[in-house]
Amino acid sequence: MSQGSIILKLIGVPIAILLFCLGVMTILGGHITPGGGFQGGAMIAAGVILSVFIYGIDGSPIKFSHLYIDILENFGALMFIIFGLVGLFVAGSFLYNVGSDISNVVPTVIRNIFHYPDVTNAGIIPYLNIFVGLKVFVGLSAIVIAFAGFKKFSEE
Amino acid sequence: MILNFGPIIFGFIFGLILGSQVKNNPISGVNFTTGSYVVILIVGIIFAWLLGQFPYYNDTTLSTAFLAALIGVLLGKFLFARGSSN
Repeated sequence: MSQGSIILKLIGVPIAILLFCLGVMTILGGHITPGGGFQGGAMIAAGVILSVFIYGIDGSPIKFSHLYIDILENFGALMFIIFGLVGLFVAGSFLYNVGSDISNVVPTVIRNIFHYPDVTNAGIIPYLNIFVGLKVFVGLSAIVIAFAGFKKFSEE
Repeated sequence: MILNFGPIIFGFIFGLILGSQVKNNPISGVNFTTGSYVVILIVGIIFAWLLGQFPYYNDTTLSTAFLAALIGVLLGKFLFARGSSN
């Protein structure tokens, strides 16, 4: 099947959407199952890459603007650093898990704020997975979008 | 039975972020109507049921993270990405 095949075009977006959901599931299960931020982010980026390969850079229904990439990349990195600094200021060590607080040094109010709402008492680990996932999916997608743009530019 | 809200809330937010960029593109050569997305939702529910819930989460039989992400993507698409991308 060539790039312009109608079968590929019909299944491209549905598979990309299901890949997005699988990636999100991998990110959110990173603290109890194999996977995590990087793996889930790469799966989401795979959905974007699939769409760019099938429809081309101009025809892709899944398009990330420069502003969107910029905001998500910066937000992921910034929140990771902020969560690390909260541990540094509250408990004395960078990236201390203030949500689960094994050493009992964190005030209850702060512990409740950073506690991830599930049964496993994972603390800030799922949040860090989410921020890493945001950064990775945007970063990998940006690389592929840039390469596809360079290819189009060199052909013109 | 304790419902785990973490995957539901953050899956939905993540889905909204992703769904806001899925736009119909006339250059792509195919037009995905509302019915197409209903089919994707039904397939996604079956998908979530076959995947099952995370270990230690004994609240539901289907993957709430997957389903919340799917609902988020579709809602984000219909709320924030109604126009075409070109």
